[in-house]
Amino acid sequence: MLKNHPYISNLTLLGLAFVFSVALGAVYIPPGTLARILANQLPWVDFFQTWPDSSAVIILKVRLPHTVLVTITGAALASSGAAYQGLFRNPLADPYLIGVASGAGLGAVAAMSVHWPTNLLGFYLIPLAAFVGAILTVVLVYNLARVGRMVPLTTLILAGVAVGAFASALTSFLMLRSDQQIHRAISFLLGGSPIAGWNPVLAALPYMVLGMGLLSLSGHKLNVMQFGDEQAKQMGLSVERAKVFIVVTASLTTAVAVSFSGIIGFIGLIVPHLVRIVWGPDYRRLIPLTIFGGGSALLVADMLARILLAPSSLPVGIVTALAGAPFFLWILRRAKKEVFW
Amino acid sequence: MVTMLKLDELTVAYGDHLALSGITLEVAPGEILAIIGPNGAGKTTLIRAVSGVIPIKSGTVYSDGHDLSALSTSQRARLLAVVPQARPLGGMFTVEQTILMGRTAYMGWLGQPDDDDLDITRLAMQRTKMTHLAERRIAEISGGEQQRALLARALAQTTPILLLDEPTNHLDLRHQMNILSLVRELAIEQNLAVLMAMHDLNLVSFFADRVALFVDAELKTLGTLQEVLTEENITAAYQTPVQVIPHPDSGMPLILPVGDWRQNGR
Repeated sequence: MLKNHPYISNLTLLGLAFVFSVALGAVYIPPGTLARILANQLPWVDFFQTWPDSSAVIILKVRLPHTVLVTITGAALASSGAAYQGLFRNPLADPYLIGVASGAGLGAVAAMSVHWPTNLLGFYLIPLAAFVGAILTVVLVYNLARVGRMVPLTTLILAGVAVGAFASALTSFLMLRSDQQIHRAISFLLGGSPIAGWNPVLAALPYMVLGMGLLSLSGHKLNVMQFGDEQAKQMGLSVERAKVFIVVTASLTTAVAVSFSGIIGFIGLIVPHLVRIVWGPDYRRLIPLTIFGGGSALLVADMLARILLAPSSLPVGIVTALAGAPFFLWILRRAKKEVFW
Repeated sequence: MVTMLKLDELTVAYGDHLALSGITLEVAPGEILAIIGPNGAGKTTLIRAVSGVIPIKSGTVYSDGHDLSALSTSQRARLLAVVPQARPLGGMFTVEQTILMGRTAYMGWLGQPDDDDLDITRLAMQRTKMTHLAERRIAEISGGEQQRALLARALAQTTPILLLDEPTNHLDLRHQMNILSLVRELAIEQNLAVLMAMHDLNLVSFFADRVALFVDAELKTLGTLQEVLTEENITAAYQTPVQVIPHPDSGMPLILPVGDWRQNGR
């Protein structure tokens, strides 16, 4: 069932994680009430209100937007991770490990520190600044890591970690000398505590739909690229054009995730690998499945982050790192033994 | 002679170093032209330059009258297919997925295969006897089978020209004969113009129609087996004394190293 129906099983998983995430919180709201509050949002449904107004506010203004943001963030990080892995033909490529996430964070913070408009428009444009940071970082890391025509496992991660650390340090510097308002607006980048409400969701969604949509359509290109640039070209793929397309789309997707949820590592590493193990390497299927799987995985991590030290909550990046770092080491060991993955 | 592939004064340079200098040759449909020469003579460079993956310094490659450099990547891939040396690249795909990727140049932007693509893939698998391995991963099959899968992928491109880069490297005798017999049959049956870089001179003598001998980036001699595979040519090119005797079955040249260290002492 799980193996033969990849989309159904992944959507089911995502649905369950989503419902649990909305139900989970300091205030207990019975499942029946929860369902009716949600159903009442539909134009043709009108349940008689038997619950306090505060319950509806908690669900609709706090938990639901938070859950949606976590879902799309996980989806974005996982699918861009899968795309970077295919692009670099390197199983360890992850938006965080190759420094793109930190570069996006720097882009966002740098823009906000130079009289960025503080209105809603400015808020909606943050991803573009993050995108510029992400693209510059990925080009820099790629050129540092490249040995001839190959991007070896280790140099990619070394270059990514070094450039990422540098970008993070610059980010901290900019944040410490910025004024209070910016400081508050961007503090999420260090702690990973997302901005609340529907605004970040609405700002992120258009970019996300575009980015992940285009990534989902790039599966065949990524497949052919696994045979190396020369063979891909000999098979008729315009390799340079395909690379630019995928770098731009994956970086945009990462940048949007970082803009509103901060820097979260390892989701882009873990999810594509698990999907690959169960459903195989075909990128035409891998990318859409990582979108669903990434949503589920980050929702689970986020619930753990909210439960573990309740009533206070951990930054979700800590949970993903706790799970992801050992996973990273496992892949590293496996990758040393095998030429392919 | 009808020409399918024509190289006119092809010159390739890596920086200041000339890798190929003024190469002119032609390959007819149904013909196998073997490229031989010592390591570093430019055999692989020729395959790469003709297939358009490295830049040409001067000269032109024509396919069926079209200047290849004026064509797009996908147009070129419909005229000319390359069988690379078997390496475990892309090893996690199945044999069938790999061969289907040979249809890339015919697929749309999304890479969605249509019925033709699937039919041609199936035929390419049948022709190379890979059907029973369709669901196996490339990484899991033997070197000989990998080379056959790469040949099938090139066949799926349905091109009039086939380029092979040392297709018998890393293969045992049985698989060497196996893959080259298949190439020979295909050349006749599908009227393919085949250009093939080779190390093993006796396999060249067994399967090729004509030979081009490369030394130091230049085309030294081009002609029939008997014209090119002479003691003089081979000894000079490889700087190793050889003698050439006729093959007992075909009478084609057979190249043997000269001497016997057992008699000469050490």
